[in-house]
Amino acid sequence: MPDLSVNLAGLRLANPTLTCSGTCGYAFEYADFMDLSRLGAFVTKSITREERAGNEPARIVETRAGMLNAIGLANVGLERFLNEKVPLLRQMPCPVIVNVAGHSFDDYVETCGAMEGLDCVAGVELNVSCPNVKDGLTFGTHPGRLKELTAQVKKVLPSKPLIVKLSPNVEDVTVTARATVEGGADALSLVNTFTAMAIDIHKRRPRLANVTGGLSGPAIKPIAIHMVSRVYRAVAKSAGVPIVGMGGVQVWQDAVEFMLAGATAVAVGTALFVDPASPNKICDGLAAYMKKQGVEKLSDLVGSLELPGDQPKTSPYP
Amino acid sequence: MHSALREQFVCTVLGNVPLCREHYRLVLGLREFPATDPGQFIQIAGRDLDIDYNPEREIDWEPGRAPDVRGKELMTPLAMLRRPFSLAGRRDTPDGVELDIIHRVVGVATEWMSRLNVGDAVHILGPLGNRFHLPAPEGLAILVGGGVGIPPMLYLAERLAGQEGVAFCGALTRDLLPLTILAGGRSPGIDSFEPVANIGEFAKHGIASVITTDDGSYGFRGFVTQALERYLDGLGLRVQDSGKRGEGDLKSQISDFKASQTTSAASSPSVLSPQSSVLRPSSVLPTLYTCGPEPMMKRVADIASARGLPCQIAVERAMACGMGTCQSCCIRVRKPVDSVPLKGRDWAYRLACTDGPVFMGSDLLW
Repeated sequence: MPDLSVNLAGLRLANPTLTCSGTCGYAFEYADFMDLSRLGAFVTKSITREERAGNEPARIVETRAGMLNAIGLANVGLERFLNEKVPLLRQMPCPVIVNVAGHSFDDYVETCGAMEGLDCVAGVELNVSCPNVKDGLTFGTHPGRLKELTAQVKKVLPSKPLIVKLSPNVEDVTVTARATVEGGADALSLVNTFTAMAIDIHKRRPRLANVTGGLSGPAIKPIAIHMVSRVYRAVAKSAGVPIVGMGGVQVWQDAVEFMLAGATAVAVGTALFVDPASPNKICDGLAAYMKKQGVEKLSDLVGSLELPGDQPKTSPYP
Repeated sequence: MHSALREQFVCTVLGNVPLCREHYRLVLGLREFPATDPGQFIQIAGRDLDIDYNPEREIDWEPGRAPDVRGKELMTPLAMLRRPFSLAGRRDTPDGVELDIIHRVVGVATEWMSRLNVGDAVHILGPLGNRFHLPAPEGLAILVGGGVGIPPMLYLAERLAGQEGVAFCGALTRDLLPLTILAGGRSPGIDSFEPVANIGEFAKHGIASVITTDDGSYGFRGFVTQALERYLDGLGLRVQDSGKRGEGDLKSQISDFKASQTTSAASSPSVLSPQSSVLRPSSVLPTLYTCGPEPMMKRVADIASARGLPCQIAVERAMACGMGTCQSCCIRVRKPVDSVPLKGRDWAYRLACTDGPVFMGSDLLW
């Protein structure tokens, strides 16, 4: 068996497959359908300080090769998370990363601070880019605020890797990526969903109650690959900050693409709704690919994409 | 944590029969399938997942042969997500299990399903969701189905097996009734709401039916809810002031239903067991069961509550996963202000996929 393990900001993961927050529940929702012990890491649904009911339905709509969602961060809130979900997370057979969302600096700091002392939490991912909630500050598109937030959270979370999930809904993702790294992020995940809209032509109304939603699925993969590649080359590589690539990952070929572009790990989201076992299948496919390509360590693939103009790594000529 | 009750399965199409305009009965065969109950549903992939997910397909090509572009989304839309379908019936045979799905062609997934041939592979995931709580042995079951909400009523009729039942089936017009109207069965009068044994699927279980069409092209002319009201009035189950007759029975039936549901709802979905319900004897009040368009179901819930009758509703919601993760199929339910979730509010969202699809009508705020 080839070595699928990767090092994500100090977290040693058995393989590079993660789940995307918001597509896999809080803990064991998929236990019947996938082998959770074969996940590189499990990323929970976003947790906010206060419990949230979420948006009115309709909350999702399928589009060509993708879907829009506007769930509105429906979640049990920090108190119930600690009481009801943490006991389940203690039994998870893989590392757990808790995704945290908020509407103010205090929200994030309090919720992340509560994770610091939890043994069952291997790391924290900050959701700074949920496009579907209207209240509170916008962090994901504001480099200065993003840097400040990352620094404040890192202060209360000294012992655990902090991953910041970047929004693609910005003019230049390398700007927000750089701000996050300067704030002290240990890893970046990108991309979150793209703000988008679908219209019911018969009713002449938006198809989502929230009007807009986040586009995910295979439709966004090529854009996500481009953003990962850009952030890797412009920011992450030189800073030594690993990237979790996500956006339309369905099969192992997608995972390879993300890794070549510079992702150390890949997260599966929308595809889980269709095939919850897809992360397991991706690992099988990666192992076969490595064998065929003669790759001994999967992490050797990371960022090994050659662009026109790059210095060839090894010249075939003397 | 693995319950071994729910899984992904690949089925073989055993039959694909047009039932009426836009409606098909798809019969899916499997070697094995977990135990199921009426009200439960499965998620069906409206495309061949193997084509998209075959890791070797890139090199599965030989010179001189046209490349296989099936599954490549060129100009043809494909159903990315699975679609939820209630079970319309189930037969356990020596060869395995046969599941009946009745669907109406409304989009890319159902259009794909309508073109399936015997022997084709279909990917399903399930069984999912909770179930109808059967009435007490002596209680009358009143089944109210509208259009493509009729299928779960057929499975329920099958399970009632000899218990007293009556079915109300409504559609816009006769061509949209996915049912076998028995040969020789004359159309009852356009104002007839007397149940007769004229629908094959119900009659074989000893259940008489009332057919309604909005345009009067068969049976009672009007909404199924209008025929239902007149029928209930005829039984002497009239609109009453709240707190009168039947209140105690209603409460006990509701608590019975809730007791049967909490076994699954309180624990994690992975241990959700369709078999955990213990059917306890309740009262002799009739129980209403309904599935159909939302305005119809709301009306049925109102009709039931005005008469103090228990009403179980299988709701339909847009769903991405069916497994409680995407949080899209939410529906508003009443709850005590002090209880979780959302302490301080008298309502909460529940998920149609894991908390439902069957809810008590008295709980739903829609």
